[in-house]
Amino acid sequence: MYQGKRRDFFHWGAQGIAATALLSLLEGDGVVQGATTTHPVRAKRAIHICLIGGMSHVDSFDYKPELVKYHGKPLGASEKPDIFFGQVGLLRQHDWEFKQRGNSGLWISEMWPHIAEQADDLTLLRSMVSDSANHTPALFVQNSGFQFNGFPSLGSWLSYGMGTETEALPAYVVLPDSRGGPNGGASNWTNGFLPAQHQGVVLSGGDQPVRDLFPARAIDRVEEAETREFLRLVNRKHLAQAGQDAALAARVRSYELAAQMQMSVPEVSDLAGETAATREMYGVDDTQTADAGRRCLLGRRLLERGVRFVQIYSGGPIAGNPRASWDAHESVKQNHSFEAGRIDKPVAALLRDLKQRGMLAETLVLFTTEFGRTPFAQSAANQVGPGRDHNRYGFSCWMAGAGLKPGTSYGATDDIGWKAVENPMPWHDFHATILHLFGIDHEKLTFYHNGIRRRLTNVHGEVADEIFA
Amino acid sequence: MRLCLSYGLLSLVLAGHGAHRCLGQEPHRFDQVVAPILANHCLECHRGADAKGGLDLSQRDEALRGGESGPAWRPGKPLESLLWERVASGEMPPRKPLPEKTKEVLRKWIQDGAPWGTNPIDPFRFTNESRAGLDWWSLQPLRDPRVPAVKTRDRVRNPVDAFILAKLEAEQLGFSEDASPRQLIRRLYLDLIGLPPTPEAVAKFVEDPSDVAYAAVVDRLLDSSHYGERWGRHWLDVARFGESDGFERNGPRNHLWHYRDWVIDAFNADMPYDEFARLQIAGDVLRNNAPSGLAAVGFWVAGVHNTVVGGSEFMKRVAREDELEEMVGALGQTFVGLTFNCSRCHDHKFDPIRQREYYRLTAAISGVRHGEKEAVETRFRDQISALEKELDALNGVVNRLEKKARQTVLAVRKKEGQKRTVPPRPYARWEFESDLKDSLGALHGTAHGSARVENGALVLGEESYVETATLPTDVKEKTLESWVLLANLKQRGGSALTLQTRSGLVFDAIVFGEREAGQWMAGSDGFVRTKSFAAPVETTGTKEPVHFAIVYQADGTITGYRNGVPYGKPYKSSGLQRYKAGDSTVLFGLRHKPPVGPNRYLSGKILRAQLHLKALSPAAIAASAGVESDYVAEEELVAALAPAERGQRRELVKRRAALVKRKTELQSNSKVKFYTVAPGNPGTTYFLPRGDVMKRGEVMTPGAVRAVQGVTADFGLAADSTDAARRVRLASWIAGDKNPLFPRVMVNRLWHYHFGTGIVETPNDFGFNGGRPSHPELLDWLAITLRQGGYRLKSVHRVIVTSSAYRQASKFRQTAHERDAGNRLLWRKSPRRIEAEVLRDSILAVAGKLNLQAGGPGFVDVSITPNNGTTYYEPLDKEDDQLHRRTVYRFWPRGGRSALLDTFDCPDPSSTAPRRTVTTTPLQALSLLNNSFVLRMAGHLGERVGREAGANAGEQVRRAYELTLGRRPDAEEELLAIKLVERHGAAALGRALFNSNEFVVSQ
Repeated sequence: MYQGKRRDFFHWGAQGIAATALLSLLEGDGVVQGATTTHPVRAKRAIHICLIGGMSHVDSFDYKPELVKYHGKPLGASEKPDIFFGQVGLLRQHDWEFKQRGNSGLWISEMWPHIAEQADDLTLLRSMVSDSANHTPALFVQNSGFQFNGFPSLGSWLSYGMGTETEALPAYVVLPDSRGGPNGGASNWTNGFLPAQHQGVVLSGGDQPVRDLFPARAIDRVEEAETREFLRLVNRKHLAQAGQDAALAARVRSYELAAQMQMSVPEVSDLAGETAATREMYGVDDTQTADAGRRCLLGRRLLERGVRFVQIYSGGPIAGNPRASWDAHESVKQNHSFEAGRIDKPVAALLRDLKQRGMLAETLVLFTTEFGRTPFAQSAANQVGPGRDHNRYGFSCWMAGAGLKPGTSYGATDDIGWKAVENPMPWHDFHATILHLFGIDHEKLTFYHNGIRRRLTNVHGEVADEIFA
Repeated sequence: MRLCLSYGLLSLVLAGHGAHRCLGQEPHRFDQVVAPILANHCLECHRGADAKGGLDLSQRDEALRGGESGPAWRPGKPLESLLWERVASGEMPPRKPLPEKTKEVLRKWIQDGAPWGTNPIDPFRFTNESRAGLDWWSLQPLRDPRVPAVKTRDRVRNPVDAFILAKLEAEQLGFSEDASPRQLIRRLYLDLIGLPPTPEAVAKFVEDPSDVAYAAVVDRLLDSSHYGERWGRHWLDVARFGESDGFERNGPRNHLWHYRDWVIDAFNADMPYDEFARLQIAGDVLRNNAPSGLAAVGFWVAGVHNTVVGGSEFMKRVAREDELEEMVGALGQTFVGLTFNCSRCHDHKFDPIRQREYYRLTAAISGVRHGEKEAVETRFRDQISALEKELDALNGVVNRLEKKARQTVLAVRKKEGQKRTVPPRPYARWEFESDLKDSLGALHGTAHGSARVENGALVLGEESYVETATLPTDVKEKTLESWVLLANLKQRGGSALTLQTRSGLVFDAIVFGEREAGQWMAGSDGFVRTKSFAAPVETTGTKEPVHFAIVYQADGTITGYRNGVPYGKPYKSSGLQRYKAGDSTVLFGLRHKPPVGPNRYLSGKILRAQLHLKALSPAAIAASAGVESDYVAEEELVAALAPAERGQRRELVKRRAALVKRKTELQSNSKVKFYTVAPGNPGTTYFLPRGDVMKRGEVMTPGAVRAVQGVTADFGLAADSTDAARRVRLASWIAGDKNPLFPRVMVNRLWHYHFGTGIVETPNDFGFNGGRPSHPELLDWLAITLRQGGYRLKSVHRVIVTSSAYRQASKFRQTAHERDAGNRLLWRKSPRRIEAEVLRDSILAVAGKLNLQAGGPGFVDVSITPNNGTTYYEPLDKEDDQLHRRTVYRFWPRGGRSALLDTFDCPDPSSTAPRRTVTTTPLQALSLLNNSFVLRMAGHLGERVGREAGANAGEQVRRAYELTLGRRPDAEEELLAIKLVERHGAAALGRALFNSNEFVVSQ
């Protein structure tokens, strides 16, 4: 059982779970930190850039000079690679030029000219591995540690473990790509069996940034105010008659918080107050970067106001023509140029902005892809086609910020970027490491569900402490 | 003990807990204190014949004989004992040294001469501080408890009260006063039928709130069909009922609603609970595949189902073992409150369930598979069989008549070697003699990859294909024909002829070996029009060319022909696919575009191919195939008959056609599809060491868990027994009259739903990890009441809801709260936020919009979008009478969100939900304030009170209060409400009342 002031109130009954939720409403949640943790708390919040479809590591963050040498040669492995489409073409060198960046000298390709400028802030993870090379299960396992639906996502676990610093905004906010939701839709930000307040809340553009934030039909302002006032009075009267029952009081309070949320959500969503320089930096007004720019800037504003976990998707549904994701089966150069062009500048701006505001020290920036792509082309066996297939055996992600050693890389794939060979990092380790940065022992953050004390990391997870500052 | 501390009421939860038993004799001490340490920390490696280092610590003699390094200990001499040396230094257990206190226990025990107990060590024998043993409370037989005597006897309405009061009085507490009649009747309605009482019902009860009148209301509600809708929904939570597959594809299930209806009907009929359980486990067997039986076993397949398994043997086995674990888990948690599923890879860490027993359980259900079945509704069966008899007789007459004529025709044919039918002329024909041209029209082909014409055949292989020019005409009915010589029979997924839209998103094709190795099928986009022909596997397709044809009829029927004769069985697809002029092409080799992926190509030769824009008759196909056939065309037959016979036959055939039509009609009207258990061969079940699917241990026979007392865990069945026998035996074990867990778990569920918290707080887990009973005697008393009452649930409901405990007021009491904040002792009836379904149904009822249509396919309030292997469900918002049915009839896909239901804690049915969380969040408030459904219903309520109360605002307010809250407003409320109605209309008041605590919280 997770030890802490708030958790002391938790017990088996539905009443008990309710009590937890009530307390989080009535008392606020800042109390949880420190009291609950065994490790120093490095991170207080996180923002997660989640790439849909699979980014090619050998073209971006994992420099493989050997691949140039082997370009056009067969893989030559004894086993036939077990990959999604089963088409094993010849090895293909990177399509972007790699350069050493900043003081750290990290190799990053020209796919990411803006992020590369922030190289000295990055902690590259070059030995990621995944259990699945199918989009939906791979995305689920990245988000929840399980390939199946119904398990709470990382953001929900953090909300459950850390609580929220603001009651005027949800603890976990999701900003999907304007082109559509990812495979599996809302199952990616589900609270699973955790109480409902830990679910990811989608914040979209338009008049209803949050589902049901305002009345579904236009209601006169005076009518709205007087209806709410009437409700407040009858509830207060009822509460007085029923005695000071916590469940009833919490409902009264929830309407006050709802009113706050009606103010704070439009406020946080309104980017008008940002300076021209900031808007320029995020690329908010440039067609190519507007979607991600707006969301990255919104992400920073949410974090500033106490949101625990923000998730920004890069890529919508896997299918479609042209592709609206990173699933570059046909041409990596064409697809990744387009996709990176949408987010490179905004994500770099986010890093820069968090840093200049002094937030990066306590904010974890996560940049992940469900898997990487093969070092060989996806084409006939005697060809070097322009596309690459899914690769779960080795790929790259990065983190930045709170408690991390900046300007470093961790782990390595083999000479050609096919499989992780040094410090392979499965998602469970990735999750355990993140929880550790939040001061949480991943083996102790549990929730009883149908006979099992469930964890984000299931029965696995090793903390990669080498990457800590 | 962490569970207990949080209650602050230690005494009540520790009852029956073994850890606090006094430790007496030495063997007892060994079994209870020392053996568990050895079992938990040493025996995983040091046990049995292949123990590590040759050291077996599970048996006394073996341990003393010792392993490779010598004896494990010398009695009385810890410092000379290897065991102590290794343990003390932290070398053992590896990487996880024992805490000092535990080490000390071992040292002291050796010091004391190492007295032994049960030999060999049975780690499951006794409960200890870290796990349950065979003596665990819930596994013991039911004990008929003495009803305790209490001081406040005037509050005892039935024995339930005595048990509750006894505990309360021990804490110097007592019941709260009876709830007011208004509150009580509202509570009872919401609880038993999930709808609020009408103002009239409230008025009637307030007038006469006597116990007799109350009992009459209880009876009426239990008799109402709404009772089943309410309590059936609870059961569906437990049964993880979801109407989509979950996992990656999450495709919708259109025929699982029968299970939902069956559950509701069973509750309404007060079906004995043991029968209810038996039918869910083996109803298809016990009811001989009657519709009710097929519906009942929907229990097994109500959970998630992985439909994308992957090709490797490893992935297939993993998927099947996962599926079995899901089902075994559901079985154990639902009916006996045990988490069988936790012992798949090792013995249960907390309960006395062995890993071997887990595999005996999977053996018991290894014939269970997800699938669909059809059944004829019972009332049609007799009619159909009568028709069939008549048809048989008629056919006999016709056949006798025709036989002679057929023989005449065939004899002439043989003699003359005459060709019987001119083959039909196709729309397009590819001869592949020297090129890829359409010899009849302009659908010429273009080669891609290595496709080429050689020796009068199109040669395909290495991912090559041919695509033709665009069809300038619409295509409705059609026939695809291809003469193919396969390069090998192992290939999977290539096409001998495809008609597709230009993008390849929609297609119909002659496909070889895609779903079933070695079989031909009618390929289609996402398999929407594809079913198995259930034909034999191809064996000669590499030796001689096969003529394969597929006929697509207007009514969706798809028929395959191999070498001119029907291939397996035709089937009715989801419907005929039409293709628009200018938007379709024909492919050879490639199943459909785009040309990616290895399993879309045919390897072999196509000698000839034809496309017809009509559905060819069997005769025409036979002619086209050019095979010898005994088929005699109608015209030939008629010509060979004598004139008198012709007239006679014409009448008979007419009569036969009428009968067939009638039978077909009856069958199609009476046939119902069920998503249900499609039993397969159980196969052989192996013990899987550490759950590793690639390692097979010994063969397991069907059986269950020995630790459950009163029922026999050995089913006495062979390892190759039938699926039917296995599940029938399993059903008897679960619902056996002596199985103590079976009634205990169910009465606890009832209690849980009536009071918000069970006597055991974890309704699905009566093991060590679950809660301890707050009132163990009451639990047994209720279980015995259920058993002795013939397992009728309504009698248990009746005794609970007529008790004083249930009828208490919910008012908060500070002093009682200080003693028992969680109200585990029931000093009041805890107020409860009503569940999402009850809230939605109540709003509909009050607004006058509730559609009481019961049963049948669910209403669909989501859009369903299949997209590249995943199905998206998005909420639909519309005013539609169908959507105003009770929420239990909602089509219930996994991940299919509903704004209102979601925020009010409706669980996603990806796993069983024996308890719902109850949260209070600002998003919930926003949803109830602003959701379009709520606003629309507030509008309807406004109109309703206008209609029923007239134009006077005061009358409208009174009516609105009566309808929503079952009472009149007091003077202050009335004043405020009238002002609101006068200024903004009655809809504004309706909206406010829907949001009020009094409406949303049942007190």
